[in-house]
Amino acid sequence: MKKIYLILLVFAGLLTVFNACQPKKSTSYKALIVTGQNNHYWKSSSPILQQLLEQTGLFTADIAKSPEKGGDMNSFNPDFSKYNVIVIDYNGESWSEKTKSAFVEYVKNGGGVVSYHAGDNSFPEWKEYNEMIGLGGWGDRTEKDGPYIYFKHDSLITDSSAGRGGNHGKRHEFEIRNRNTEHPITKGLPQRWVHGTDELYAQLRGPGKNMEIIASAYSDTAQNGTGRDEPILMTISYGKGRIFHSTLGHPDEDGGPALQCVGFITTFQRGAEWAATGNVTQKIPYDFPTAAGSSYRPDFKELTLQEDLAKIAQYDISKSTKYFTDLQSRIRHEAKTAAEFQQFEKQLIKVLESKEATDDGKRLLLREISWMGSELSIPIIHELAKSESLKDAAEYALARLQPTK
Amino acid sequence: MLDKSTRRDFLKRSATVATGALILPQIIPSTALGMGGKLPPSDRIVMGGIGLGSQGTSNMRTFLEHKHQVQFVAVCDVDAKNAANAKGIIDAENKSNDCRIYGDYREFLEKEKLDAVSIALPDHWHGLIYSAAANKKLDVYGEKPICRTIKDGQTIVNAVEKNNIIWQTGSWQRSQSNFHHAVELVRNGRIGKIKTIEVGLPNGGRGIGTPPIKEVPAELNWDMWLGPALKVPYRGVSHWNWRWMLDYSGGQLTDWAGHHIDIANWGADLEHTGPIEISGEGVYPTEGIYNVPVEYDFLCKYANGIEMRVANSARLVHGGGATWYGEKGWINVDRGRIEASDPKILQEVIGPNEIQIYKSDDHWQNFIDCVRSRKQAIAPIQVAYRAISVALLGEIAMTTGQKIQWDPEKEVIIGNPVASRLLSRPYRQPWSLPTI
Repeated sequence: MKKIYLILLVFAGLLTVFNACQPKKSTSYKALIVTGQNNHYWKSSSPILQQLLEQTGLFTADIAKSPEKGGDMNSFNPDFSKYNVIVIDYNGESWSEKTKSAFVEYVKNGGGVVSYHAGDNSFPEWKEYNEMIGLGGWGDRTEKDGPYIYFKHDSLITDSSAGRGGNHGKRHEFEIRNRNTEHPITKGLPQRWVHGTDELYAQLRGPGKNMEIIASAYSDTAQNGTGRDEPILMTISYGKGRIFHSTLGHPDEDGGPALQCVGFITTFQRGAEWAATGNVTQKIPYDFPTAAGSSYRPDFKELTLQEDLAKIAQYDISKSTKYFTDLQSRIRHEAKTAAEFQQFEKQLIKVLESKEATDDGKRLLLREISWMGSELSIPIIHELAKSESLKDAAEYALARLQPTK
Repeated sequence: MLDKSTRRDFLKRSATVATGALILPQIIPSTALGMGGKLPPSDRIVMGGIGLGSQGTSNMRTFLEHKHQVQFVAVCDVDAKNAANAKGIIDAENKSNDCRIYGDYREFLEKEKLDAVSIALPDHWHGLIYSAAANKKLDVYGEKPICRTIKDGQTIVNAVEKNNIIWQTGSWQRSQSNFHHAVELVRNGRIGKIKTIEVGLPNGGRGIGTPPIKEVPAELNWDMWLGPALKVPYRGVSHWNWRWMLDYSGGQLTDWAGHHIDIANWGADLEHTGPIEISGEGVYPTEGIYNVPVEYDFLCKYANGIEMRVANSARLVHGGGATWYGEKGWINVDRGRIEASDPKILQEVIGPNEIQIYKSDDHWQNFIDCVRSRKQAIAPIQVAYRAISVALLGEIAMTTGQKIQWDPEKEVIIGNPVASRLLSRPYRQPWSLPTI
């Protein structure tokens, strides 16, 4: 028992150290998620969006549920003015005139809005709303609602030809390309990254006024797409208000891969902060997807370094190596200088020193330390080299860290 | 006098012949006949094979199809079944029972008197065995990628150059007409000055989980299979599937670099240099014992301004193969295919006063011819080293998450001692890479 307490204490200690390194955030902003009617699983998506907003440490998030379809929409009067950002997870009946004008006033006066996925299917007849979201789809939208806007060979095309508004091919993973890498939402993200399995909205049409497409994706004809580079993330200004429009995040009954995608999560969180404040203070997570491939968080939350290390300490070869690849990814993204490498190295050494940590776990860490370690690791590696089971891996690490010996 | 073997070797071999020892080869290599490697056309080249798995056996069979030009006399494999199978093929061809079998390449190289050797091994063995064969002054047909690390590669190149042997890399696309045609068009400016290159390679190595530890089969010398790599228990994963574990290979990336990066370099005249800056990302498995990147995407910048992107074919407009983008158009070439921005480009004929690209229409015949003529083969060691270097530097960029600065002349990573550690892999005792 004592040993277990000891190791728990060690990890608790690490946790404290790690947390102390994080900048303190104040939950000073208020977000409201508007939902209650949707042709999508809003009962699954809205709590996930709430969780995502709150895990930034920037927001407290409320959910406003409209009456069910056929209910008395006059009873739906959220007080938008109390909030810094309104998230539209709604695609249903029209709001009352009073609620609509309150919303327009809120945005005109500088309120923030995030249109999430089918939020741009909503309210085809509401002119102001369509100006806010820039582009919309479905709901019998046609050329009367505005042109198609998309990229062709890197030129922005405004296409007034007749036809339906809104379409998507098969769900699949697809590459998103940031069209403005200096915008606060996209700054620091890889220019190209692979989004998790989702619908790729296409043929959206609308007024497109005061709108910038900050990210697009090629809608592949092989996936029943349009063969165009379609708008994916947009920013729009309306009055003094800022609107972030994300077509991403098709929800399944239990959440699903589009919402689990770290690219969706991160752009949603950053877009919400930008809509609320005009700025983004969140750092890019280590597990953000790259051009090489997608990245998912099954529980919608980022693991901490200590959670990864605790799992590695219990690793045996039959278990998932996810926590180790997580650790490698953190080191790749967060360590560039000798001092930053040593920050990680010190944490790895603690696991190597732990009597409870498994040899399989230590073997993984010895490989990692062999290239990113320093003289700090030498004593513990010498110690481990005395163990028959770890001798080879320890000698491997020593040969890299002390090539002259 | 002897431009292939030293006089001492010649005398030693003659002495062996004279004493008529029991190990006396049935076929006396032409070097021992005082021809100095310049074989008369009537003589067959005496060959052996090291590594007779699927690729090694396939190469050997192809050589044997070149009737009356080569004769195999000995094979070496850590898997006795592989060796016995190869002996069966050779003996049937030779109509004898004389093919000799070895399990240790050191004994094979020591005892056998050969002209040339065909080698097909997991990459982690290349550094040691390629350089050992070169040091025995054997001409080598060696499989790509020619090394697991940059340091292994430098050692092999040095061994080949120092011993002045003929080397052919198994990058046989060089001897295919569509690849040759593409390279000749690009080198002669038919798409203008090259700006960017894309190289599309397959995904691969998605896992098999962690198979249980198994008893090593009687025919397999597992410790010798592992050789310089870390000792691990046998899980039934050795032949072929070594490709998905970093101790032995860099995955599809390093496998296919020896083909499509090689072709890309050939067309862009980059085959004797390397990139100056490399950066990119990989995706790594999260289950099981396979740990090579399953997807990858990295960018290499060259001193002359060319940028080469290497990625999974699914990420690239033209998919697999090599695509050169010039000021006037593009050409894409892959197995069984050649395409261009304008089909007319492909009809162009290269005139006699233009750049003529080395031509071979049979990769194995080219090796045989060069063993006889002592001329350089179509896929020499230096260009194979430059092709795999691109992938190995990409691997380092993906492992470290850093932008790697590379000096292609001095062949060192600039200003990054941490990343520089990844230029080699420590060898398990008692193995060590020789200094050549």
